[in-house]
Amino acid sequence: MQPKRILVALAGTSADPDVLRLVASIAKPGKAEVVGIHVIEVRWNLPLDAVLEPELDRGEELLASAKKVADQAGFELDTELLQARDAAAAIVDTAVERKSDLIVVAMPFRKRLGRVYVGRTVQNVYVNAPCAVLAYRQEETR
Amino acid sequence: MNDRHESPSLEKRVSQPGRRVGDRYVRIVRPTGSGLRGHGGRWTATEETMEPTGRIGQAWNSALRFLIGKRLETEAEGEERVGVATGLPILASDNISSSAYATEEAMRVLALAGTAALALTMPIAIAVVFVLAIVILSESRVIRAYPNGGGSYLVARENHGVIAGLVAASALLIDYVLTVAVSTAAGVAAISSFVPELHDYRVVAGLALIALLVIGNLRGVREAGLLFAGPTYAYMIAMYGLVAFGLFRVFTGDPPAPVTPPNPFPQEGTGPLTLLLVLRAFASGSVGLTGSEAVANGVPSFRRPEETNAIKTLVLMGTIFATIFIAITWLSTTIGIQPDIREQETVNSMMTKAIVGAGTPFYYIVQITTAVILLLAANTGFTGFPRLASVLANDRFMPRHFADVGSRLAFNFGIIVLALLACVILAAFNGSVTNLVPLYTIGVFLAFTLSQSGLVRRWRRLRNPGWRVSMVINAFGTLVTGTVLLVVAYTKFEHGAWMVLVLIPLITALLYGIHRHYQTVHDALVITGPEQQHVPVFPAPLVIVPIARLDRAALQALAFAGSVSPTVKAVHISTSNASAEEFRRRWMQLDTNIKLDIVVSPYRSLLAPLLKYIDAMGKSDDRPITVVLSEFVPRHWWEWLLHSQTAFRLKAALLFRPNTIVIDVPYHFEDTSNLTRRR
Repeated sequence: MQPKRILVALAGTSADPDVLRLVASIAKPGKAEVVGIHVIEVRWNLPLDAVLEPELDRGEELLASAKKVADQAGFELDTELLQARDAAAAIVDTAVERKSDLIVVAMPFRKRLGRVYVGRTVQNVYVNAPCAVLAYRQEETR
Repeated sequence: MNDRHESPSLEKRVSQPGRRVGDRYVRIVRPTGSGLRGHGGRWTATEETMEPTGRIGQAWNSALRFLIGKRLETEAEGEERVGVATGLPILASDNISSSAYATEEAMRVLALAGTAALALTMPIAIAVVFVLAIVILSESRVIRAYPNGGGSYLVARENHGVIAGLVAASALLIDYVLTVAVSTAAGVAAISSFVPELHDYRVVAGLALIALLVIGNLRGVREAGLLFAGPTYAYMIAMYGLVAFGLFRVFTGDPPAPVTPPNPFPQEGTGPLTLLLVLRAFASGSVGLTGSEAVANGVPSFRRPEETNAIKTLVLMGTIFATIFIAITWLSTTIGIQPDIREQETVNSMMTKAIVGAGTPFYYIVQITTAVILLLAANTGFTGFPRLASVLANDRFMPRHFADVGSRLAFNFGIIVLALLACVILAAFNGSVTNLVPLYTIGVFLAFTLSQSGLVRRWRRLRNPGWRVSMVINAFGTLVTGTVLLVVAYTKFEHGAWMVLVLIPLITALLYGIHRHYQTVHDALVITGPEQQHVPVFPAPLVIVPIARLDRAALQALAFAGSVSPTVKAVHISTSNASAEEFRRRWMQLDTNIKLDIVVSPYRSLLAPLLKYIDAMGKSDDRPITVVLSEFVPRHWWEWLLHSQTAFRLKAALLFRPNTIVIDVPYHFEDTSNLTRRR
């Protein structure tokens, strides 16, 4: 399968640069369009379009860093900032709207109760996305 | 229609329905690719906005980045500051390098009274060091009292008044320029001792070295410091090594044999030993005090605590200069070194030969490090001048550009202006150190005297704890530096010092004139009182659209004029009645209700009749006049040459016309649509 439209979910973790380099190797041969999105989750006690300055600053910062990594990796990254109640739903809906044929999500290596922890967002994207999903788990930190 | 009145925003929030109820999300549409980052009306221009788009621009940008380095954010200013170890080579290299020639300068004057008079070199050196100690003690008080830099200028301005401050500033500015010129000339002279072929090209070599210093300084204070730190420390190590070995030989009963200069002074001298001659020798030796003001002027360049670091640097600088200077003087007189009448060989070189032997590696190390530090002494000028100029510019005594901070947080404009002035002086004096030295030192001592006396007044006014001790120290400093100033001015007057004495009042007047201009502009522009705190309501202007030819560019300008005001007048300048009629015929075919005036110009001039027409319109109507110009913009820069640029000339002619707004409506060659079609 050679994806033509790839959507990368960026959470601002240490796994982001790795996942972008992985995307580069998938996107470059087929000259796929790559969109990197960051979803700011808005709590239910706030309006959905509330201006959350620290989160917006962080989102812009991490998307700008992602663009730099993409430039170095040699592909063009379009970025988008979203606000939603649930990040997974927004990722899946954006992928549907953009007709993406691959969603790439990153997981930093985390453990809870002695087991590798897969976050809620990754799980929900995995379960609900209509297109292919590639979940990249960062290597174990020693 | 509502959209047209909505305030435009760089950020849009578009609500999107999700696939399921409750999955609604908001897409934040930002100006991606513009380099602007932010939200809610607060945007930050990132480095991306600075990236040029054209090939020439990109090439220029790459060259600049290669030469002066990556752009720095304003927030990086703290990191660009220096500590004592880096501050010493940046701000003290001028003073420390003086130890290489101060002894010789004093000896050369004394030798005129015969070689026996050289015995007075050591007392003169002690007197110079004594003055230096007073200066350092006083300057440390300047640093404590005025930690924001500006040194003598600020002290004199605050305590003696504006004119005294400007006199101090002018004197220092002149001296900084001379520091660069003299140090470069001295450095080239030192190098040409090894490479005699360079002597004929000393001006060119000097200019090249100034260019190198400019590049180094445009990279910012910290990098300049790192670049110049090595040679300064190398000089200090070489000189201390030489002095230690010399002292060891003298005290262990193996005194070095004196080296005879190639062209010695007559043993009996050429004149009598008078008080004036001794004073002249002292004045010449005082050249070693130059550069000691740079630390007080550059306090903001230091890391926190700025004052403590600056004072440490100042004391270290004085100690290093004094020890090297006294040791060289003592060894030279003990060994019996005499200066060369034709300056073929320096006292420093002969002393080194005597102590370590000619042709030994250490001899070359001493000579090379001396040559390099003499060159780098020019860097003190590059640190002091731009900073002082920026302080003056912030106080509106110098053009605003001097206060602009460059891409590496250096005062680029000041650096470049200093380099240009130093180049002019170097070329005018043919790169000769002997010709340049008499101009030197007056400025520094004038600034010292003004700042010392200013501090006396300050202590008297403030009466802080211990004010009496401070006042006595600064009063004594005033007396000493004032005396040196008089001696230097008197003894060097006919040798060129008069030029500096003429220039100082001229520059002072110039600075004052600049300030008056800025003050007038400020008074005219400043918003005063609550009655001015509103945006005035403007009547719709009378819009005049000069039309040379009825084409797409003209239609675009007319369309724009119609959007600005309901009162639009088109005007065409015609060179003959026939062409006027032809133009009117074509105008009648145009679907517009804009009225047309045609001015026939039988003398074929376009600009003058048009300007007169605008003048006449202005007299007949009270409303402000807006001239809308249609300007065709070709695709390439060289295509400009093929067009008459009437719009450009008209813009230039209307620039100073009062009550006239000029709007340029460019029509780009690439435009495939015009305003009408867009609508």
